[in-house]
Amino acid sequence: MRIGRSRRYDQARPFVVLGVALAIWLFLPLALKSFVRATFFEMTAPEAVAASHAADLRNFWALRLHSKDEMIAAGRELAHLNASYEIAVQENSALQREVEELQSLLKMPKDERYRFEHAQVAERDFSGWWQRMIIRKGRDYGIPVGAPVVYSGGVVGRVAEVHAFTSVVQLSSDPGLRIAAVVDGDARPISYQGAENPVFGAPKGVIEFVPLDVYASATQPKRLATSGLGGVFPPGLTIGRIDHVEPSADGLFKTGEVALDPRLSELTEVTVLVALAAR
Amino acid sequence: MRAAAVLFATLYLLHALVAAGNTLLSGLHLWLFAGGLYVAYGALFLPLAAGLAAAVLAGFLCDAMSPLAFGTQAVLFAAAHVAVFNARERLQREETAVQVLVVLVLNAALFLVLSLLRLRLMHGVAGAGARLLSDLVWSEAILATVTPWFFALQAQTLVALRLQPARAA
Repeated sequence: MRIGRSRRYDQARPFVVLGVALAIWLFLPLALKSFVRATFFEMTAPEAVAASHAADLRNFWALRLHSKDEMIAAGRELAHLNASYEIAVQENSALQREVEELQSLLKMPKDERYRFEHAQVAERDFSGWWQRMIIRKGRDYGIPVGAPVVYSGGVVGRVAEVHAFTSVVQLSSDPGLRIAAVVDGDARPISYQGAENPVFGAPKGVIEFVPLDVYASATQPKRLATSGLGGVFPPGLTIGRIDHVEPSADGLFKTGEVALDPRLSELTEVTVLVALAAR
Repeated sequence: MRAAAVLFATLYLLHALVAAGNTLLSGLHLWLFAGGLYVAYGALFLPLAAGLAAAVLAGFLCDAMSPLAFGTQAVLFAAAHVAVFNARERLQREETAVQVLVVLVLNAALFLVLSLLRLRLMHGVAGAGARLLSDLVWSEAILATVTPWFFALQAQTLVALRLQPARAA
């Protein structure tokens, strides 16, 4: 009888231990949980950064294999590009001055200004559940939580977490990210959300609350850009290409699909826009 | 507890390998989930406390990188550990095929639970379901291949540090 009871206790012991551990975890203060999370993240950060540095080294040695002729040709191309960019920078400065003069004449509030913080991508985590990446800059470079992240093709996402030397970026393809957007040439705001990320295909997003007079198709796509509303993303940044809209179930608005840039899945370098204090 | 620490070290290595693999595969939109492999060895061969501690710590490691509420994967790993630990005497656990089967079943179960937890955020269940299914199938195929190697690595590490007696081949 005693043996039977002891055996039953032995069988139940793992579940008792699990229940006790769970109860302790549930009643643990939030501050302690946050501390444990930060500790474990910092524990994993070196592995991501070390792998990223190893990739840099591999790329460096791969570039060293190029011949001098190839390097000279690449240098010449870069010089041409630099010349055209210098002209664009001068034009941009003149336009910026003009905008500032007009703003002061009309007593308009000044646009938010940003500092560009370029960062390398250390790790990409693109599951069907979430789409995130780790970049190699964090509190050490003054990256704030919520800062917009961009690249040459437009919006990458926003900074979701900031750690000592790394930050986590939530991508525009993440189903949990929403952005206030506008269709190119239209000022009415619509809602964008990250959606499906099919295997071997380009990432997609969805738009909601699209006015009924907006049309787009695969043959006549429309550019979707940030609206500037919501205070996270500056206006005019490309999010993707609307290639399908259809009336929503309630008939008051349309919904649609947005094709995102396939380069989003292979980015190695991004730029964080850090808002400067109002002048 | 030394066994738990050593087992956790091997799980940290697994975490680094999985993260590096997922970074390389991101362009193809393939994603490897190895939840079952974090739990299986400890649950099949170690005492309850050591195996459970390693599984929970590995869960925290995965949670720290994910947007899920912190502790979600740790709790799931702990529950999976207890379930396997309780059934291990009835399993031919020295057989490689059984070990692989345990990893695959655990992995599929953990993947399913995590998918259910994230389902409310997903747009278009059909499309998301296809992606999740392909991730699961691909992960199971990879785990079926690497499980014998990873079990051997964990066993040999514990034997080398005299934390577990060498088992007959």
